[in-house]
Amino acid sequence: MSVATARPLHRSDKLLYYSLLPFASIIVATFILLFIVISYVSFPAIRRYGTSILTATRWAPNEASPESSVYGLLAPLFGTLVSSTIAVILALPVAVSVVLVLEEYAPQRLREVIGSIIELMAGLPTIVYGLWGLEVLAPMLRKHVYSPLHELLGFIPLFSCRPITGFNLATAGVLLAIMILPYMVAVARDAYRSIPFIYREAALAIGATRYEYARIMLGLARPGIIAAALLGFGRAAGETVAVALVVGNTPYVGACLFKPAYTVSSLIANQFANANLYPYMMNVLFFGGLLLLLIGMVANTIAVIMIEKVRKRLA
Amino acid sequence: MVKLRGIGIVGEQALMLVLFIVIGLLLIDIVLQVVCCIYSGRGSVEQRQGIRLAGSGSTFIYPQMQEWIKDFERMYPDILVTYNPTGSGTGQAQLLREKVVDFACSDPPLTKEQYQQYKGEILQMPIIVGAIAIVYKIPGYDGPLNLTGEVIAKIYRGSIKYWDDDAIKSLNPKANLPHAEIKVIHRSDSSGTTAVFTFFLHKAAPDVWPSSLVGKAIEWPVDATGRGLGAKGNQGVAEYFKELDSAIAYVELGYALENNFSIAAVMNREGVFVEPTVKSMQAAISSAIKAGLLPRSPLADWSGALDAIVYAPGKDSYPLVSFTFMIVWAEYPAQKAEAIKKFIEYINTVGQHQIVEGYAPIPTELQEINLKALDIIRGR
Repeated sequence: MSVATARPLHRSDKLLYYSLLPFASIIVATFILLFIVISYVSFPAIRRYGTSILTATRWAPNEASPESSVYGLLAPLFGTLVSSTIAVILALPVAVSVVLVLEEYAPQRLREVIGSIIELMAGLPTIVYGLWGLEVLAPMLRKHVYSPLHELLGFIPLFSCRPITGFNLATAGVLLAIMILPYMVAVARDAYRSIPFIYREAALAIGATRYEYARIMLGLARPGIIAAALLGFGRAAGETVAVALVVGNTPYVGACLFKPAYTVSSLIANQFANANLYPYMMNVLFFGGLLLLLIGMVANTIAVIMIEKVRKRLA
Repeated sequence: MVKLRGIGIVGEQALMLVLFIVIGLLLIDIVLQVVCCIYSGRGSVEQRQGIRLAGSGSTFIYPQMQEWIKDFERMYPDILVTYNPTGSGTGQAQLLREKVVDFACSDPPLTKEQYQQYKGEILQMPIIVGAIAIVYKIPGYDGPLNLTGEVIAKIYRGSIKYWDDDAIKSLNPKANLPHAEIKVIHRSDSSGTTAVFTFFLHKAAPDVWPSSLVGKAIEWPVDATGRGLGAKGNQGVAEYFKELDSAIAYVELGYALENNFSIAAVMNREGVFVEPTVKSMQAAISSAIKAGLLPRSPLADWSGALDAIVYAPGKDSYPLVSFTFMIVWAEYPAQKAEAIKKFIEYINTVGQHQIVEGYAPIPTELQEINLKALDIIRGR
């Protein structure tokens, strides 16, 4: 549209534009349809439960009297936000370091090897991460990280509860961090690469050390790095299978990271198959889906604005 | 670009957006129509070659169903049977409401209300017997373990915390039980296994386990203590169980056998500790039939079946048994009616000798009841 309004199109351009228009329209229409359907199906849940859907922590289907079932999404929503935040906090420094190593320090051959490993990581099916998290990561973290942390720093609320098992919020966060790392590296690397050569030359010309040079470059790419963090957050929030395997799947809201918890997407994965047998459960699950969609939209919108900022700053 | 005078840039953009959406919707519609055409076209080709029976539902019966389908198609190569393990609830919805499958398998039978709604149009047949094993892992002890419904209920409520609790000790005087914390694993997904398990707890210890805690997905009291863990599917429960050093869980018998887990003996209604075996599973069903607790026709209301077979009378009966039901319509197009009759006949005769480990065949009394379906189903 911006092209169309910016300047008059040549005749053949116009033809091309109109012939391509339908394909772009499919995406817009699909998204709007998706949004409408999800909202439509979740509406009965909102009408039935009102705001308690967001404030209640209980997930208590009751078969003896289905009408008195209680469905609250607060615990899974909390779990989604916390585990995704942990994931971003853990993955961001690593992603930035990886970008610096790849772009500035590593020799060409190592760069290629690391690059292809990252691509491979991005392409692995999520269930593989989940099973690995279940069998290797969770027991290992519990023994070598959580237990010492609890014993040394138990007075901090985050580590205040005893890690009875390795299946908890913290493990979900760590696993998600590993899973979103490749995406964050890709976005941050693009931002870093888009810094024009002039700036690099200028930084080197004023006699900056390697460290100072890296700091200047990272400063220029900062909005892009923030965008990487937000996109990573969006991905982490939507992750289903892997999280359902390690998060412990029990509704929990509290400060401690070593308790089993829930996420919205793992709740949907767990409950969807038989939700039809309960009144309103399907609607509540769809409402959870709507929340995920909204979280994703907010994160992506801010990320797009940030990327735009990088472009403007460096143009 | 066509010049649209007078409505301004904003108006023009809004118009474009509307145009965008309309074109997009049209295209989606066209694509769907084309896909439908191709799909129905393919259907007709298959009809010429043979008959297709589509089923969906219970994930529990899936391994057994695959085995049956393989064997059945060897006997009747012109009938193609597919089965999609979508979950009991989805299976019911796809058969009854959406009418996209020809039969459904469901762990719970239709509820009383559903039965009233479809009375006479729907047949239900219990086609396989399953059992739920209570598996345990106690540090430093790998001998046998006796448990009662009340003790299990208290463990899942969180009030029994350690293996050396007096209640467990008194049931196992010879066992050397350590002071180790019990980690309690349950299903996180909605499941027929959970329904049978919680129903047993309610019947064996109604004071500890109220009826509001009975169902396919419930709110687990033990979760509040931080020692409770939810795992997705039998597979997930088995994986969690393997990872922990001190734990209790309930899983389908097949998973317990396959993984060599220690299986507890559970006290039945007559006060006898029984382990899950094909014999003790079938004993529970037979005693329920003898006691007149089960209906005698596929057209009848089976909604009380779980009540009849869980914690059933009889000193040999294992208390945690379950059925999977096959649900079919009473009327089909002529060819399909013949095909589905053949499939039902197969399952209730030859099929009962092709049982995968972990399940048990239904007793002969029940096979006879199920075979009445052959006289009821009609073609149109």
